[in-house]
Amino acid sequence: MHALEMRDVSFKYKGSKQLALEKVSLEVEKGEFVTLLGCNGSGKSTVCLLANGLIPHALPGELSGEVRIFGEEVRQKSVAEFSTKVGIVFQEPESQLFCMSVEEEVAFGPENLAVPREEIKNRVEWALDLVGMKGYNDRSPFSLSGGQKQRVAIAAALSMRPEMLVLDEPAYALDPVGRMELYSVLKELKEKYGMTVVLAERDAEEAAGFSDRIVLMDDGKVIEAGPPRLVLRDPGRLRGIGVVPPQVSEVAALMNSRLKVSRFSFLTVDDAERAIVQELSSKGRPGAR
Amino acid sequence: MVMFIDLYTEANTFLHRLDPRVKIVAVLLLSVLAFLMTNLYSLLLLLSFIFLLLFLSRAKWSKTYFALKFVLRLMLLIVVLWPFFDRTGTPILLDFGPVQITEPAIWRGVTSALRVGCLASVWYILMFTTSQRDLVLALVRFGLRFDYGLTIAVSLRFFPTFVSTIDSITDAQKARGLVFAQGGLLERSKKYVAVLVPAVVSALRMADSLSLALQSRAYGARFDRTYLRQLKMQAKDYVALVVVVTLLVLPMIAKYVYSVPI
Amino acid sequence: MIPSREAASTVERLVSVQNLKFTYEGGIEALRGVSLNIDRGEYIAIVGGNGSGKTTLAKNFNGLLRPTSGTVTVKGRPTAQMGVAELARIIGYAFQNPDHQLFCSTVEEEIRFGPLNLGYSENEIGTKVERAIDAMNLGHVRMSAPLSLRLGERRRVSIASVVAMDPEVFILDEPTTGLDAEESRELMERLSSLNNEGKTIILITHDMKLVAEHAKRVVVMARGRMLLDSDPRGAFSDLDLIRQSNLEPPAVTLLSHRLSDYGIPQDIISPEELVLHVMRFGGRS
Repeated sequence: MHALEMRDVSFKYKGSKQLALEKVSLEVEKGEFVTLLGCNGSGKSTVCLLANGLIPHALPGELSGEVRIFGEEVRQKSVAEFSTKVGIVFQEPESQLFCMSVEEEVAFGPENLAVPREEIKNRVEWALDLVGMKGYNDRSPFSLSGGQKQRVAIAAALSMRPEMLVLDEPAYALDPVGRMELYSVLKELKEKYGMTVVLAERDAEEAAGFSDRIVLMDDGKVIEAGPPRLVLRDPGRLRGIGVVPPQVSEVAALMNSRLKVSRFSFLTVDDAERAIVQELSSKGRPGAR
Repeated sequence: MVMFIDLYTEANTFLHRLDPRVKIVAVLLLSVLAFLMTNLYSLLLLLSFIFLLLFLSRAKWSKTYFALKFVLRLMLLIVVLWPFFDRTGTPILLDFGPVQITEPAIWRGVTSALRVGCLASVWYILMFTTSQRDLVLALVRFGLRFDYGLTIAVSLRFFPTFVSTIDSITDAQKARGLVFAQGGLLERSKKYVAVLVPAVVSALRMADSLSLALQSRAYGARFDRTYLRQLKMQAKDYVALVVVVTLLVLPMIAKYVYSVPI
Repeated sequence: MIPSREAASTVERLVSVQNLKFTYEGGIEALRGVSLNIDRGEYIAIVGGNGSGKTTLAKNFNGLLRPTSGTVTVKGRPTAQMGVAELARIIGYAFQNPDHQLFCSTVEEEIRFGPLNLGYSENEIGTKVERAIDAMNLGHVRMSAPLSLRLGERRRVSIASVVAMDPEVFILDEPTTGLDAEESRELMERLSSLNNEGKTIILITHDMKLVAEHAKRVVVMARGRMLLDSDPRGAFSDLDLIRQSNLEPPAVTLLSHRLSDYGIPQDIISPEELVLHVMRFGGRS
């Protein structure tokens, strides 16, 4: 059973003339970290909203094809029923935190599910600890920074003990510090907890390093899906569909074209450092040999 | 203008430690008392008692000042205007054309002002010493449907956000040369459209996002939802309740059963 | 940058900030003594993380905020003596969230709003609006409702409405947030055109890649103070400073620091530069 399975899915939002998704097929395995990469209008947000049933239950439209979330067809169960399997974090920090304190916010989900009080307390502590917001229980969301708000939003989703976490451009409104905090939480979720993560992004810079697979989307269709090294090899193509390639992949592409080879492929600064050092060491200083 | 929607100041006074429900009952009874008492000196005593409690709540000076400024201005207004509208009684102090000021009217004005002062300031005791969270919790415990409690809570939560958005919009329009303080009434109202439209659009967008977030967290999934925070009446709260009820019901019994003139 | 046709001696000081301190009503000290000068035709990036004071500083330029102490003078006059509307003629400010500005039924009406407020004649407004629509490539949506457009287009409308006011200085707050690669590139190109025409551009951002690609001068803010005021290379060669300001250097700059042992300079700000140096080192340029 896949965590998320989409077969030939097309979707048009109610009142829209264009297809938001056109015959999209993709799978997310349990424990995988998949990044949906695409610009505005590519369909990545639509996939996120399908992943927990908001489409079609809260956002009506014409849906065709099959969408299975942990085996259950999306049209057969309600958003509330899916909420115990899938948690979602949206891009706007301010409008997804609506309680008067962090603790209430994180407790809200399990409270709605009538989870016993003791269990809720445990989950709240666990979730806040995981996102690095331990001790912030009584703070009001208004007083938090953007990065902190997003981490609370993640905790609020995690307290429902989902098996999959979906994040739609969570770093959109964040400054560099906020971004770093967010991505380190995601990394930990993947490495320590083996959680299935679906991340929608338009900038490949950070996600490139720890995604298991990247799904490239443009204009409602899946262009390519595969391991980062494969999908992100051509920065020109990425830019062409509106995605920001990792800067080091541009370095790799340039080196490949200068040396008329194709062996360079960098996803992270570490990758690039290693490869370039190796390259430079084997050449030696000019005239040294 | 400095405006406060959250009057709560965190402290560890006995008022803070009381169960919010007890405080709500106390404030309600104090209000009823203020309505029923007619003697000027009783009302003065009541007002002093209320101000004492306000002082004991150790609220931040800025919030206290803001609250009291409003109350005192209101009281002054009543004292000054009352004799102009109430002209009965003797002795007459001033008789000048349409203006006739009598001594009893002045005292009645003062009494009314004191009464209004009590009614206006008594709620601050609750607001200064109870967090918004606890207030909403208390209302829900009293029987308010959770949906309504959540609506109140969410509105309170988003109030500062909304104020900040309006500030930002006003700034943006000012930077486009819009001067709000100019022009006649009609012109000025038109100018506010430039703030109103983006504000309403922003509010609607936020409401949309909020709705998705609520649904994603299974809001409304079960009627028997759990509540993490609970209000538990402890011994001290029961004692306080008894004291409050006694202190406040006794004068009423005295007045209506034993005709004590208070 | 000096407009090519004018002699160096006529460079005009547009904004002068002397020991500016600003404290918000709640007591937050957002600026703790900042001094800098901005001349005509410059292209400056004011960078810093959240809470660094960069937005507070910019709002002091156009009068939305007035100094708590210190002075800000625009074209020789202290801002404390000028109204926001008056300053709007000289300094245009495009806010980060275009939705906090848009309220008209058509794009054209929206762009007219600024010059209309500034009291220009109907003819003048017509010319300015046309130029702005042209500059921001909005001809094809001029009769559309601004709120129905995509974010990239809404941003362009908001900037066009500032262009139409024909200010001498443009302050843009995070203009590329939310834009895809192509929209971003196009927008920055138009800003460069404006700069080439002699307009002063002030970018407020925390995107160091953007700064590396476009700015000619970088002012780094952190916790209310100015840590650095130099050309981009100067800023990028000091990684510690960048980190201290809650900013992230571009990946290539980071890489160049890591390769410093191999003689790669540490102020590299583009992939092309890096590869050039790597190739040179290997004796293969």
